[in-house]
Amino acid sequence: MRFTTLDRLKAWLDRLAQEVDLVAPCDVDGHVLYRPVSSSEEVLLDYERPELPAKDYLFPATEVLLRIEQRGKDVALEEVLPDRRQVLFGIRPCDAHGLAAIDALFLHQAPPDRYYQHHRERTTLVGMACIRMWEGCFCTSMGGGPTDATYLDVLIRPGPEGFFLQPVTPRGVAVLEGLEVTEPKGEPLPVEEYNPPVPVTPTAKWRAMFEGNIWMRHGERCLSCRICTYVCPTCRCFDVADRVVDIRSGVTRIERIRAWDACTSPNYRRVAGGHNPRPTNWERLRNRFLCKFCYYPEDFGPLGCVGCGRCIVSCPVDIDITEVMRDVAQK
Amino acid sequence: MALANPMRPYLGRLVGVRNLATGIKLFQVELLEPEGKAAFADYQPGQFAFLSAFGAGEAPFGLASTPARGPYLEFAVNAIGHVTNTLHTLDVGDPVGVRGPLGRGFPMEQLRGRNIVIIGGGIGGAPLRPVIQTILDRREDYGHLTILWAARSPDLLIFTEEFDEWRSAWATEFHVTVDRGDERWRDNVGLITQLLEKVAPSPQNAVAITCGPPIMIHFVFLTLKKLGFSPDQMLTTLEARMHCGIGKCGRCNLGEKFICTDGPVFWQYEIAGFLEGFL
Repeated sequence: MRFTTLDRLKAWLDRLAQEVDLVAPCDVDGHVLYRPVSSSEEVLLDYERPELPAKDYLFPATEVLLRIEQRGKDVALEEVLPDRRQVLFGIRPCDAHGLAAIDALFLHQAPPDRYYQHHRERTTLVGMACIRMWEGCFCTSMGGGPTDATYLDVLIRPGPEGFFLQPVTPRGVAVLEGLEVTEPKGEPLPVEEYNPPVPVTPTAKWRAMFEGNIWMRHGERCLSCRICTYVCPTCRCFDVADRVVDIRSGVTRIERIRAWDACTSPNYRRVAGGHNPRPTNWERLRNRFLCKFCYYPEDFGPLGCVGCGRCIVSCPVDIDITEVMRDVAQK
Repeated sequence: MALANPMRPYLGRLVGVRNLATGIKLFQVELLEPEGKAAFADYQPGQFAFLSAFGAGEAPFGLASTPARGPYLEFAVNAIGHVTNTLHTLDVGDPVGVRGPLGRGFPMEQLRGRNIVIIGGGIGGAPLRPVIQTILDRREDYGHLTILWAARSPDLLIFTEEFDEWRSAWATEFHVTVDRGDERWRDNVGLITQLLEKVAPSPQNAVAITCGPPIMIHFVFLTLKKLGFSPDQMLTTLEARMHCGIGKCGRCNLGEKFICTDGPVFWQYEIAGFLEGFL
């Protein structure tokens, strides 16, 4: 396995930051978050699971799809597809796994999502293995793991005196070209702590549970706050709207934007006439869980959950996806 | 470029705007770009499209026209939200955008030779108008046509100026009802399900096609069942506040189905098998 030292890794990151848009885990007022960085000094190398997933950099929370310029009765449309290359450094294996789940719909289900595809083709994923599972993590039950390289271009594993480098894809080999390697010292740090496994139930059983009373039991305290979808590495629903940027000397400049949406939002399925087929919190929560474990895998292949555990630690009323999974398994 | 990005609307211009009913206007759109014209050269009854009011956004509407009757796309729009209220401020000559045609339309080929019963409630009649027009334009291809039309009140009936054409067409009968009449109303008063029971179309070699509010669709299906229609003799088209129309945004899911790509037109037996209901 290739090996490099802290100094060399930092020199490489500094060069990368000059060449591409570099995104890396940072300390933002005490919160670990993936953020654009301009120097290795900002980059955390020993950090917990970032509080938000990396999907924002491929499927931004708010994204301009079109610029629209209206001059009198004439309209001009311009697609907005910024031509930037980016490296997501230090992303956790679960977040790469989450992108793979989104790929199934946005890349592999025709027609591809033009914007996501554009960003994805210009992105290199340099992951950092976890040295333990954090609060709520259950990636090992979802087909991933703290040192899983499957969905990354490069996996880095921390060692006692440096970093072990495992290129996974040709893109990963290419991004490592500028990184000076040395004689390996020691072994990659082992994973200190694993969380207990959670049972994953086949989609057919989730389907059969649709009418069950567990949804009301788990969902009656849901506040429809939508934090679970916001922190989720696989939730990908969106809304589209126009915003007027300015009106100047007869020219109206408009942006057509899309923004993350949430099926747990009360208005998600409400139609223009006012009818709402999913009027209660528990019905919306049922949709979210069934999407993850039944609808999404049946429609697109992968499960809609990678076991990152963020929804568990974020929920203000302690709704725990692993409790629901255990309930479904036991029925 | 226009064809490559399904989220980019084709540019269009309003060539006609007229009042259809209280709060409902019919917009006639001329597509300006060759790509747009090509895309809409052969759209099917029951398909839908997004209509953009630039600056307000876009919303999905069932196409209310057919390519056989002219090159302009027609949309019946009820002023009920931000986009639709903004559309209502537009006039002839104003620019709009159109994305589509989208979704699975009515199986018009499969319906050849069958007696057709159309049951339209309120603005739900709009996506059924192209079915009526297609049958009237290829009259010998279809059997008897029964049209049941309804609205909550007389001022909410749409396409009233076409009633005479429908009424006088060969082998076609037309019935209309309103939930509540007014002093000038001389026709049926009552729910469309009551009218349906009164008219009692024969299920023999027939297919019934309905659209309206979800609760109406539900009860129309029940009434049709009472009249002897089987699940493979009932069609409807469903709506949702979609944002993409191409199966990505998630907004129109019914369980694992998407109204935009699996529908919006569904047979009753398909709906009966859905995990999650539309009601």
